[in-house]
Parts: sequence; C-alpha cells; structure tokens
Amino acid sequence: MGLSFGSVLRRGVLAGVSAGLTAAVVIWLVVEPVIRRALAIEDLRSMHGGQSAPAGLPAHGGDEPLVSRAAQVVGGAVTAVLVGVAVGIIFAVVFARMRERLPGRGDFGRSMVLATIGFGAVSLLPALKIPSNPPAVGDPETVGQRTMLYALVLLLGVAIALLVPVLDQRLAARGTVPSTRWAVDVVATVVLVVLVLALVPGSPDAVPADVPAALIWDFRLASLAQLATMWLTLGLVFGLLLERVAAPKRALEPVAA
Amino acid sequence: MTTAASASAVSPSTSVRVPVWAWALLAFAVFALYFVSQENGALLSAPAAQMLHELTHDARHALGVPCH
Repeated sequence: MGLSFGSVLRRGVLAGVSAGLTAAVVIWLVVEPVIRRALAIEDLRSMHGGQSAPAGLPAHGGDEPLVSRAAQVVGGAVTAVLVGVAVGIIFAVVFARMRERLPGRGDFGRSMVLATIGFGAVSLLPALKIPSNPPAVGDPETVGQRTMLYALVLLLGVAIALLVPVLDQRLAARGTVPSTRWAVDVVATVVLVVLVLALVPGSPDAVPADVPAALIWDFRLASLAQLATMWLTLGLVFGLLLERVAAPKRALEPVAA
Repeated sequence: MTTAASASAVSPSTSVRVPVWAWALLAFAVFALYFVSQENGALLSAPAAQMLHELTHDARHALGVPCH
C-alpha cells in the first residue's frame, strides 16, 4: 500500500492554505492591534522630529506613505497565506521523506509530531534568541546582523532536529531500551538548545525608551500565537487529510483535493 | 545508508517515494519564503524591494523575522 508523493503534496498545499488563512486571522485579530499601538509611537516621533524614520524606508512614519495602512494590512494577510503554502509544501516533502521514521500513531500522529518539531526548530528557537519586535523598535543599522543571527539560530534548530533522531537511531542499533532512549533524546535536545541560546550572541539592539515594555511583551506573545496557530493548523489539517486517504483504502478513491 | 535501509525494512508500507523534482520544489518554496520574508534589495531593484517590504510589512513583523 504505497502512498503516492502527489497525494501527500496536494494535502500539504491544502493544509498550508488553511494554516496561512488561520494565521492571517490571528494577525488581523491579535497582531494588528499591537502594530497600531507601535505605529502611534512612530507617528509621535516624526511629529516631534525626534528619531528619524529608518533610512530608505520612508513609509514608516513618513508623510507620504508608499503603501497605505489598509494595503499593508491586506498585504500582510496575503503574505501570511503565501508563507502558509510555502511551509505546507516544505512540510509535505519532509513528511514524505521521513514518514517511516517519524514517531506517532498513524499519519495524524506523525503529522502532529513533525509540526511540533517544525514549530520548535524554525519558529520558537529563533524567537527565543532574536525575539520579534513591533515597528518602532528595530535599528535599521543592525538589521543585517540581526538577520544573520536569526538565520543562524534557525539553521541550528534544524540541525538539532536532524541530529537527535540520528542519536536515537544509534542508540536503538546498540539495543538501548526505549525509555532510556527517550531520556537521552530529551536531555540531548535540552543541552543543545541551551548551548545555542547561551553561545549565539543576542540582538545588538536596545529597545528605545519611548516603547513601553508591555507593548513589546504583547507583540512577542501575539507573534508567537500567530506562529503556533500556523503550525498547529498545518499539523492538524495535514494529519486529518492524510488519515482519510489511508483509512478507507480503495473503498473510496481519494477525492481530488 | 544502513540506518535508512533498516528503517524501511521494518515498515516498508509507510515509506513514500519522493521524486527528484520534489527537492527542486522544496528549494523553490524555501526561496519563496526568503522572498516574502527577507528580500530587501538583494535581488530586486530598490523601489521594487521597498514596495515588497511595505506590502509584506505586517506579516514580516508578525512572523518575527528581523525587520528594519
């Protein structure tokens, strides 16, 4: 009973669209109100002529925005859906390649495990080291450095996600019992994550004095809520769709998604 | 690799044949992610990159990618 790659990919795209749409709803309901609070601070600055708008990006607090706020909100939602589709495609390819090695009961369990690993490795870990910031915080001078650090932590997260299963397989080959393997896997993951967090330098930016701490906290929570929603929806929808193909094998031809 | 071979030997029914073009598609998806989340003029002209930055602005902040 082979599952074709095409059917996995179609479900990945569909799950990605769902993930992007739910993420867009979370952005609209949770993130946008915080962005509005931050933009008010930027407006106040340009009114007082204090801190200048970031060089090369005149739309931030500028008089003549390149793109209206309404267009930015719609653009943000469209971007979230595009990101969802791209993540869904990557998810489907990785899932197909790793299917027989993913732990979890059935394809639903495997999908949820992979989504959890994805969230932890490429969303949560980078967010812990280089936390998200609302408008009015980032220093344009350091964006290159912050981007490099962010990408580095993301790649290290992927490396950990690949390394720990290899360790697990080595232990299994040596006949280590599952409970011991689980313990070693968990400890290894924690140690590697702590090493990444301790050794990689953090963001060089200081938060400007006119940005309240509560605003930063709200924004980072909202950002993580959006990312978690995206991964959760992806894992749930992909798992449910795949479970439906596998269960009534041949009784129903898989409905073209 | 012996590990992959032994894993598929345990449960041959769960493995999925991944065609070569799937990796090209994965690379394209990674590129698309870069494009919407990070492109700030490395590939596009400055005005086009600025337009892209402004349109994707809110999602870039929400996704937590470093932004200006």
